Amino acid sequence: MGDVRTARIPGGPIPARAGIGLRSVHHDELVARRPAVAWLEVHTENYFHEGGPHLAALERAREHYPLSLHGVGLGLGSVAPLDPAHLARVKRAIERFEPALVSEHACWGHAGGEHFNDLLPLPYTEEAVEHLAARVRHVQDFLGRQVLVENLSSYFAYTASSLTEWDFLAAVVERSGCGLLLDVNNIYVNSVNLGLDAGRFIDCVPTEAVQEIHLAGYRRNRVGTRDLLIDDHGSAVCAEVWSLYRRAITRLGPVPTLIEWDTDVPALDVLVTEAFKADTILENARELAA
Amino acid sequence: MNSPPEATTLSHLQGCFAAALREPGPQSEVAIRQLADCIVDDGLAPARRLQVYRNNARAMFEGALERTYPVLRRQVGDEQFAALARSYRAEHPSRSGDLHWVGEKFAPWLAAQVAADGGAWLAELARLEWACEEALVAARLPPLAPAELGQVVPETLAEVGLVLQPCVRTVSSRFPVWSAWRAGQVDGAGEPVDLALGAQHVVVTCGDTGLVLHSLPEEQFLFVAALAGGATLGSAVELAALDVETLPGLLAWIFGEGLVTSLRIPK
Repeated sequence: MGDVRTARIPGGPIPARAGIGLRSVHHDELVARRPAVAWLEVHTENYFHEGGPHLAALERAREHYPLSLHGVGLGLGSVAPLDPAHLARVKRAIERFEPALVSEHACWGHAGGEHFNDLLPLPYTEEAVEHLAARVRHVQDFLGRQVLVENLSSYFAYTASSLTEWDFLAAVVERSGCGLLLDVNNIYVNSVNLGLDAGRFIDCVPTEAVQEIHLAGYRRNRVGTRDLLIDDHGSAVCAEVWSLYRRAITRLGPVPTLIEWDTDVPALDVLVTEAFKADTILENARELAA
Repeated sequence: MNSPPEATTLSHLQGCFAAALREPGPQSEVAIRQLADCIVDDGLAPARRLQVYRNNARAMFEGALERTYPVLRRQVGDEQFAALARSYRAEHPSRSGDLHWVGEKFAPWLAAQVAADGGAWLAELARLEWACEEALVAARLPPLAPAELGQVVPETLAEVGLVLQPCVRTVSSRFPVWSAWRAGQVDGAGEPVDLALGAQHVVVTCGDTGLVLHSLPEEQFLFVAALAGGATLGSAVELAALDVETLPGLLAWIFGEGLVTSLRIPK
């Protein structure tokens, strides 16, 4: 008997339709009901281990849906070296689940041996472009595939920044060959928190690089006389973000779009309904293009 | 900008930012002031903006600890658990981008904290919960059929080892940790923990549907623990001072639970 080879079903790329973030509370229901969402995304770090019910549940879900692995813990832009064990586990997860997309964030996350387990902002400088691009190249070489890099929500801007956020991301794309995961909610959050021009961001991001879009909700905090939006992924996508999303799809064409909902996770049907809204916008874009 | 170039390097910014995110102390106060100088002030004070990240860092750490130690948290209450988490983080900050490992040193740390005030059983409960966390993420291999043991030449049986599932963990405590764990489940019995129940010995495993915790008589527990430690059947019986009359039933239980993955047969 020759080597046993396993073909996963379904394989192939993630379609330009709406998917949902899969959280453990929905593992069983998703496999039992198989709702009409086009694909799934999970946090890579939640499936780093060798076994257990969560890993088994994702194996089952993976038999029915294309998958994207979304990392939150690598800290790509940290000046401190990347954790080789963490990177090896990412590679192991990729080998195990054969995702169609792999993504991380344009952030840093550790220094002096301490990890903050958060997506911390980089200044938009030439030095940071060069550093992040080199890190992305290293990761892509190690994983043997392209990764997507996601724009962040930020709660402050550095005085040192000399580039716009979109020019920063475009330069990282150009120098590393990575793709972009465009988080439209993060763009909106930054427009309120930092006065960023959200429409201009959408209009200036390099179109050919965007391979995935994230949509999510935020929490509004009142600080003195100002609003500060917290990117908590704990509510429905707001009207302003839907509007920016339509603008993005008009410019970019249909792009795989994910409904992210990580805290106060609602019933599965709520996520499916949000995905349906995104699918409707994607379908309209397809009809217009035709 | 008039700042010297080195003041805006990535290294400088991340060093200040990291210090500002640590638990409050003189160094974090200095770092907050330094980092505030590097943040655009548009009317909302940089320190207040930075506070969002300080809150996030603390919440991520505490949230991970809460997910690992839900029973302990129910036992001590939310407020005390949060205070413990803050003190623990100051001494044992996260060392991984994977939050799973945040609680790895919590049980021994807690033991040192509560040793003097009668809370040692809480640290033992934490030790059991960490064993559960390890079991939850370990591999579970196809179990070996008990008939395989029957294939072994009887004269060599004492020299055979049973290789247990990677997800098997063993916790022996002088406190009733199994009862405490049961009482602390969301759907558990809910009765208060009676410390007079005394020592309990727990074998933790993880199946397709989740954790399974078995409380065993001491000699049976010692037998399983010896097997898990690599002992042969003969030496495990000896180490556990096990009544050989109970051996067939105990082996049937071990195989029946699917705990054995292979035999280690001497050459």
